[in-house]
Amino acid sequence: MLVNRPASVEDAIAALLADPAVEPLIAAHRVLEAQPPRHAPWPSTIDERIVSALRGRSVEALYTHQAASFAETQAGRNVVVVTPTASGKTLCYNLPVLDAVARDPTARALYLFPTKALAADQLAELRALADAAEIDLKTSTYDGDTPANVRSVVRAAGQVVITNPDMLHAAILPHHTNWFKLFENLRYVVIDELHTYRGLFGSHVANVIRRLRRICRHYGADPIFICASATIANPQDLAQRLIEAPVTLIDDNGAPRGRKHVVIVNPPVVNAQLGLRGSSLLTGQRLAQRLIADGVQTIVFARSRTSVEVLTTYLREALPAPPGHDSPIRGYRGGYLPNERRAIEQGLRDGHVRGVVATNALELGIDIGGLDAAISVGYPGTIASTWQQMGRSGRRNGASLSVMVASSAPIDQFLAAHPDYFFDHSPEHGLINPDNLHLLLDHLKASAFELPVPAVERFGLDETATLLDVLSEDGFLRRADDDRYYWSHENFPASSFSLRSAAQENVVIIDTTGDRHRVIGEVDLFAAPMQVHEQAIYIHEGAQFHVDRLDWDERKAYVTRVDVDYYTDADLGVTLKVLDVFDQTDTGARARGEVMVAWHATLFKKIKFHTHENVGWGPINLPEQQMHTAACWLVLPDAVVARFDRDTLDGALIGLARLARNTAPLLLMCDVRDLGVLSQAQAPFTGKPTLYLYDAVPGGVGLAERLFGIADELVEACRAAVRDCPCADGCPSCVGPMLEVGERGKAACLELLTALA
Amino acid sequence: MRSLSDRLATVRRGSAAPSRAVEDRAERLARWFDARLSAEGRGGAVVIERSLSLGAADADALAGLPPACYFDTETTGLSTGAGTVIFLAGLGWVQGDVFVARQYLLPDYPHEAGLLRGVCRELGALRRMVTYNGRSFDLPLLVARLTMNGLFAEMAALPQQHDDLLPLARRLWRRPLGGARLAHVETGVLGVRRTSDCPGSEVPERYFSYLRSGSPDALAEVLDHNLQDIASLALIEAELVRLRAGGWRQAGILDRRGMAIDLLRSGAADEALELLEDAIVACTEPVEAVALRRLATRLLIKAGEVDRAEALWRSGTQRASLDAAAAWIEIARIRERHRSDLHGALEATRAAWRVLDLAFALGRGGGMLSIGKMRLQVSSRRRRLTRRVDAAERRAARRLRVA
Repeated sequence: MLVNRPASVEDAIAALLADPAVEPLIAAHRVLEAQPPRHAPWPSTIDERIVSALRGRSVEALYTHQAASFAETQAGRNVVVVTPTASGKTLCYNLPVLDAVARDPTARALYLFPTKALAADQLAELRALADAAEIDLKTSTYDGDTPANVRSVVRAAGQVVITNPDMLHAAILPHHTNWFKLFENLRYVVIDELHTYRGLFGSHVANVIRRLRRICRHYGADPIFICASATIANPQDLAQRLIEAPVTLIDDNGAPRGRKHVVIVNPPVVNAQLGLRGSSLLTGQRLAQRLIADGVQTIVFARSRTSVEVLTTYLREALPAPPGHDSPIRGYRGGYLPNERRAIEQGLRDGHVRGVVATNALELGIDIGGLDAAISVGYPGTIASTWQQMGRSGRRNGASLSVMVASSAPIDQFLAAHPDYFFDHSPEHGLINPDNLHLLLDHLKASAFELPVPAVERFGLDETATLLDVLSEDGFLRRADDDRYYWSHENFPASSFSLRSAAQENVVIIDTTGDRHRVIGEVDLFAAPMQVHEQAIYIHEGAQFHVDRLDWDERKAYVTRVDVDYYTDADLGVTLKVLDVFDQTDTGARARGEVMVAWHATLFKKIKFHTHENVGWGPINLPEQQMHTAACWLVLPDAVVARFDRDTLDGALIGLARLARNTAPLLLMCDVRDLGVLSQAQAPFTGKPTLYLYDAVPGGVGLAERLFGIADELVEACRAAVRDCPCADGCPSCVGPMLEVGERGKAACLELLTALA
Repeated sequence: MRSLSDRLATVRRGSAAPSRAVEDRAERLARWFDARLSAEGRGGAVVIERSLSLGAADADALAGLPPACYFDTETTGLSTGAGTVIFLAGLGWVQGDVFVARQYLLPDYPHEAGLLRGVCRELGALRRMVTYNGRSFDLPLLVARLTMNGLFAEMAALPQQHDDLLPLARRLWRRPLGGARLAHVETGVLGVRRTSDCPGSEVPERYFSYLRSGSPDALAEVLDHNLQDIASLALIEAELVRLRAGGWRQAGILDRRGMAIDLLRSGAADEALELLEDAIVACTEPVEAVALRRLATRLLIKAGEVDRAEALWRSGTQRASLDAAAAWIEIARIRERHRSDLHGALEATRAAWRVLDLAFALGRGGGMLSIGKMRLQVSSRRRRLTRRVDAAERRAARRLRVA
């Protein structure tokens, strides 16, 4: 295997792309040419020590975007920097911050990262720069891992405090009096990975920033915001909505880039009649296996935790480590313990780890250096995150490869057939809805706890006073005679809600194989019924564990190590109940409102490795889970329904739901997972066949509302997808295979869509 | 750059004084409790003055202490976050045989700055303040409120000395009382019985209810609760004075080891020792007995009374048991470190070994595991001591030859 190893990464990539087994699968191949660096002179005002420190690390000049960021912040303007992975974005904020502290030791800055891991990474980088510049910088992370004795020091003396929005929300803002040195002198607020603050999380964070700005005003500070983002369609707009102030866009990337091949691979057709293509997972595995064998350091992104583990297992089998050595192939996903993750990151940087299979946990700016190749198995759901994953490969000089392997999902097939859409279209918008009333009320409570709210103050909406009165009536606030609303309740409001949509609690997975029990990982409460129900095979770092017992009340799953030739996959049943109608068309054919969605894992299948055949099943006995959210629904006209018998109608509805699920995210520019779709042949609320589309987060972030407004477009896009699909009776790329939708499924679905238009 | 306090001062000067309606509320509250408005006048707190007579014993005990302000707060919540407000601050002083209290009550939220100024002025008048759990609750909360209101000068003028009685109460009474909340100490030690009172958990709701209804009715019991809290602080101090003055000899409910530590810290080493030696004799709990002996040993050695220290452990070597072996090890340690008597130490170690053998033979040593562990300990000490004895003998022999 290693005998004919290609001489260079460039050769290995060329050989792979020219391979007769690979070449026919290439749906698109673009080469992004190398780009030389563009520099700008050192700003004249910058502290000399910083310049010499950077020179010492062979940075002879700033890139244009770094210089622009420094100039704008010096002029007192908020900025958002949008440049690709590994373009020196960090310096865009570290420069002005370090310069400010160098000049005035009382100056303070607050860094926000979406995860603790990123915060730890950035702390190391900032410290290294300050040390090199011989600037005495007091900085620390402040999160759940910070020891109690360090905390009080950070509060009083930390010049740069590195934390996450959750900590700001629950620990810092409600105790702002302990932090007054920070707030009083706050010059900069840095918000990195801005693009992650969208949807529910982003809407929460926007409210946390509203609270932050109130506290800053109270202490007389007016900080400048420096945001950094991956490429999205509307970084400036998102930044402005998030901080509610004007923001200057800096997107002129001056960093150099090596030559890069970007390839879309479509697995071979294995059954022309059914329109079935080979597995994207197996295709991705073969590409990765070959690249790793040829010495190309490769990262593979898989969509789910399960596929990460399956792929890791396959690659380890195919590329065994020499006896006595650790495997050079590692899995990496949420649920691994922090030290395990640090070890993998280190292994990637120093080259011991040759291949890593990851979920999107590695999409973010964890510092693992540039790899030679990145393979995304399946379209990650948005164009922005596809580029983000692809950005994981790429060296300053030398070639790199990025591959997206299309799955049989309609969006994937659409992109494989129309690669221009991917290469030339704008990426998605980051949508947030900070004025979602659920969120607004929660944050207004938290904010009033932090500082009394004058009746004339505006928090998000012009009608803030109304909200304040509502909260007073509910006994949370008291309007005193000075026309200010005071927190007037025993509870601590910030602890009653979390900024993330996921459940606050996790189920802990305990391995009972040895004589001592040990915790091997965690899954969140929403995913637990699917992953760690009793008799499930839970796969961790390629090892299989059988779930012997799930103690739901104690949130503990007890597992033992096993070695079996199958994995498990759970079925999820979803029901929906309409609670309130907010808006509808005259005929009631389209409406939106509030719904309660309940889901329930009912049974699981055992699926054999490699052949993927079903080798058994079992029931799952776990409580149902519920959420209240916003939905939009379309009711099918009686006339068209009457044309079909019940079986045909059922099939057509399955097809309709599938089309909507896959098409709506393209129109809304959201992730497939942000939206739920459900079709009911006899919907209890409307009494008719109905298609529901709902926000997949409690309370909603505005997707359903927007869909209600563009329902025509949705119907038309679905209709075009069916009409233009070359298959005869349905395939996975349109309504779904005939086996699922019935013999007349495709035709019936087209009729339904025509009637809806 | 201007300091925060300057900037906040400007902000405050600009802010309007509480309006007419607020004033009414304050006045009504003052009338209800037959109280006065604080010196801040408009926008200040309602000040309720009360007094309790002290028993002669308590008054005598307290007379010798440096003057202090006994301080306790009632709040709108248990967190020290920015939304928790002090709505009642009780301050108390001992004047001869009278306990005088002034309770600052908040008529409504906008009066807070007035309340805080009044409270800080009173606190700052004396050098010492006494609280119960004030270090982690009342004082941080007071500081948070002062910060919120920009009252930094008031913060700087707070008393230098802060005696938090909770750590003391923990040391002296937690184990015998099964807890060290103020209520435990009151019923178990001070003999205080609360009559007109309300449970601490109901306190915030009482205040919210007053704010909603405007009726001060529900606050009367909170005021009593707070008054008893600060009065109990004085009673605890009186009890402490008596205990330190030898009252520990008669005390029924008392953690002897804790009392010894307390005596030690207040400089009464002799009494601490006396207490410990009594306690060791009376003690029936083996683990506690060892802890008491250890403490006493430390004291004796510090006082240069090595013989007495050794004697303490001697009494524990009578019966063949693991405890006896442990006592021999302590003796070995004393001889080696504090007498430089290597032979004696080795002898004690051998004795420990014999006792272990005997305990094992008699089945008194507990499990194999505990005997085994102790054996390992003893044998390594024995080896080390043997080496040191040999080395010392070789050195002595060399010196002899040279001579």
